[in-house]
Amino acid sequence: MGEQIKDDAALSLMHEMGINDAAIERRKKIVALEPADVTRIVAIGELVRPRVEQYAATFFDHLATLEEARPLLANRTLADKAKQLKIAHLAALVSGDYGPKYVEERLELGLVYARAGLDPRVFLGAFHHLLRNIGTSVMQAFERKPREGFDNFMSLKKVAFFDIGLIVDVLVFERERVIRQQQEAIRELSTPVLQIRDRLLLIPIIGVIDTHRARLITESLLKAIRGNRARVVVMDVTGVATIDSRVANHIMQTVAAARLMGAFVVVTGISSEVAQSLVALGLELSKINTVGDLQGGLEEAERMLGLQVVRANGAATSPIAMR
Amino acid sequence: MPVPILKQGDILIASIQSALSDRELVELRDSFSDQIGRFRSRGVVVDVTALDVLDSFATRTLRGIAHTARLRGATAVVVGIQPEVAFAMVQLGLSLEGVETALDLEEGMALLNGAGTADDDRAR
Repeated sequence: MGEQIKDDAALSLMHEMGINDAAIERRKKIVALEPADVTRIVAIGELVRPRVEQYAATFFDHLATLEEARPLLANRTLADKAKQLKIAHLAALVSGDYGPKYVEERLELGLVYARAGLDPRVFLGAFHHLLRNIGTSVMQAFERKPREGFDNFMSLKKVAFFDIGLIVDVLVFERERVIRQQQEAIRELSTPVLQIRDRLLLIPIIGVIDTHRARLITESLLKAIRGNRARVVVMDVTGVATIDSRVANHIMQTVAAARLMGAFVVVTGISSEVAQSLVALGLELSKINTVGDLQGGLEEAERMLGLQVVRANGAATSPIAMR
Repeated sequence: MPVPILKQGDILIASIQSALSDRELVELRDSFSDQIGRFRSRGVVVDVTALDVLDSFATRTLRGIAHTARLRGATAVVVGIQPEVAFAMVQLGLSLEGVETALDLEEGMALLNGAGTADDDRAR
């Protein structure tokens, strides 16, 4: 299934998610994890450590009862990996050291869940089940001193919530990765630069122009000007619903950049609504060469290039000639 | 090292090969101004293909070259601005207003020789 997780995947994910030392400290602050808690956790370490495999088993046993967790358990490679990481997790949970290495290991486990498409609520349910088992053991051991046992367990729970924060973030981040990739694809697809005549480019813009996209448009246009040795560019904005001052500024910048490379830009397709709102906003677009529609823009561009379209001699516009 | 200015017919050509200091830029401007008069040139081409950055002073000097050239009766064309440079310039708000630009040396020469350039056609 090609779902081998590389060793450095967790580390690169950590960078991608922007989890650095400061962010880790911040996360600890959010769950109110203090040095006193760490001491208490280490105190119950002896109790938890011998039973980590047993606790991990309760986690996966609980998952096994849930329909939603089947994709994870059905995949042998992922399930084994998850079990192994879970046991390591429980051992690390009571180690008292919750630095970058610890976080990286949590992200690695989170990645396994994400690959298996584990739902956050399913994970939360199973993790709670596991914590309850640990809690029961702790309370049994501290039967005589329930107050101390409770405090110890609550300290452990802070780390547990710290972990939950990380795992859920990974699950959400990985799910949103698909959305990000699709957005990227749409952006790439939606700004084609087409050559329609020698030295004449057409760039139709459709949809919303934001700063990021404006940059992409400008970059791809400038590269195409160089690559195709273009002298005139027709930029058609028929598909842009609204043009505000920011978008207008982006268009101005693109035109200016193209001009620096020796190409003239003709902007076409400014609808009457857009034109009215531009005037109402008092935006100065007089430096830009505008033509009403795409056809007019192409004719203007051809005129600038000294080209002339003539009907071939004797050709008729009958359907037969179109074949 | 000063930038050599080549004379090709009635056109002067300078190709800038490496980042110039402010003084070298000013020297280039002055020697252009001087040679336009001496050779009775009608066109000047400044090639910046090799430059990967054009700062505000360089931009201002290029404008200066174009304006002095015009006062001396010649047209200046800046050629070969790289896509990245063009993008950076507009981001920084630097413009070459009033200066002719062309894609490369060949286009620049065509523009000065009036061979069907975009500018000429527009004026028609």
